Amino acid sequence: MKRRDFIKGSVAAVPGSVALQMLGTRFALAQTADFGSDIDVLNYALTLEYLEAEFYRQGNAANLLTGKEATYLAKIGADENAHVSAITQTVQKLGGTPVPSPAVDFADSFSSRDNFLKTSHTFENLGVQAYLGAAGFIKDKDVLQAAAGIFGVEARHAAVVGNLLNLEPEGGVYMGPNETPKTKAQVLAAAGPFIKTASAAAGGAATTL
Amino acid sequence: MSKQELFDGKPVMVFTKETDRRNFLRWAGIVGVGAGLAVTGVGVGGKQPAGAQTDENDLEILNYALTLEYLEAEFYRQGLAGPILSGRERALVEPILDHENAHVSSLTATVKKLNGTPVDKPRFKFPEGTFTDKAKFLETARTFEELGVSAYHGQVTQIKADPILAAAAAIAGVESRHAAILQDLTGGDPFPAPVEMPKSKEQVLEAAKPFIDA
Repeated sequence: MKRRDFIKGSVAAVPGSVALQMLGTRFALAQTADFGSDIDVLNYALTLEYLEAEFYRQGNAANLLTGKEATYLAKIGADENAHVSAITQTVQKLGGTPVPSPAVDFADSFSSRDNFLKTSHTFENLGVQAYLGAAGFIKDKDVLQAAAGIFGVEARHAAVVGNLLNLEPEGGVYMGPNETPKTKAQVLAAAGPFIKTASAAAGGAATTL
Repeated sequence: MSKQELFDGKPVMVFTKETDRRNFLRWAGIVGVGAGLAVTGVGVGGKQPAGAQTDENDLEILNYALTLEYLEAEFYRQGLAGPILSGRERALVEPILDHENAHVSSLTATVKKLNGTPVDKPRFKFPEGTFTDKAKFLETARTFEELGVSAYHGQVTQIKADPILAAAAAIAGVESRHAAILQDLTGGDPFPAPVEMPKSKEQVLEAAKPFIDA
């Protein structure tokens, strides 16, 4: 898997549509590696999944939704719990130490149905972009398959919640013909306000939120 | 997914070149073409300049994806040409056509960029009623989208070049959005599993057979 080593950063830095045109110039796009190993990527993902899982635990407990909306958001919460479990087990299987769940603060996200769904929509799209931005750093094919599989489900969540909010189809339900990645720095900036204390077990600031 | 669910098993896709059909069948996991023939990289070889490192395997995957995108784009083009969808349903499906067309364009451009030969657009024959019965149209769309999702995820570990993987993943995520919305519109489950499932060769075989005039 050396091919992934020497072009680290290219996936994070370039939207897929642009990447298609950049096949001959990818070296120019390489940037400082955000992740030193698959375990680093997985712990980054685990922190985001913990954030989402706790968000839905609190939100679904607030009884803001009914009917199909309640069913969908319960399903989404269960998916995030499954992601936490799967990633935790994978980190352990690879010999790493899973990061603990961060302390979180969702402010007024659960003051209304709209706020719950709007914050959910933000988290899900952020998750999509985080996975796409980190995928290029993953070296193990099984880990890549799993990460891609989670990424796709986050996209499902984002689309359906966007539709529950009756957002514009393009730009609200769908985000164009290609998903766009975010770098770790961009993701951390977006998630930061919801994190009260960073988890400390992932090897320092470079790999924790 | 059974043949009966997809156009009652009638062929809907006709390739204009035998090599295109063989390539698609190969990547759909349909065995029956001589393995020796398939591994020579039918349809993509012979155009690489000295020094190019494009992997023929990646080109074939791109052409496989392109064939599926052609199928989707033509399906939505015909469906949206008629009056069966309106209101929010129509608003949700119109961008899907735009996306599939964009995928066809970007995949075609990428294959060319890699000095490969893009697969020709197949001819499609959709059964009577596909575009006149709203429920049938939406259910078929849902089937196509779920097939697209599982097809892309089935290739994740096969793609060698990172930029191609990035592009394919960026498309796959959009197909997941489409699939979820169409599940919602048809009363299905938008979240059938906590992770997207790649289709095995046998599963893709079952799903792809009815599309192809083999």
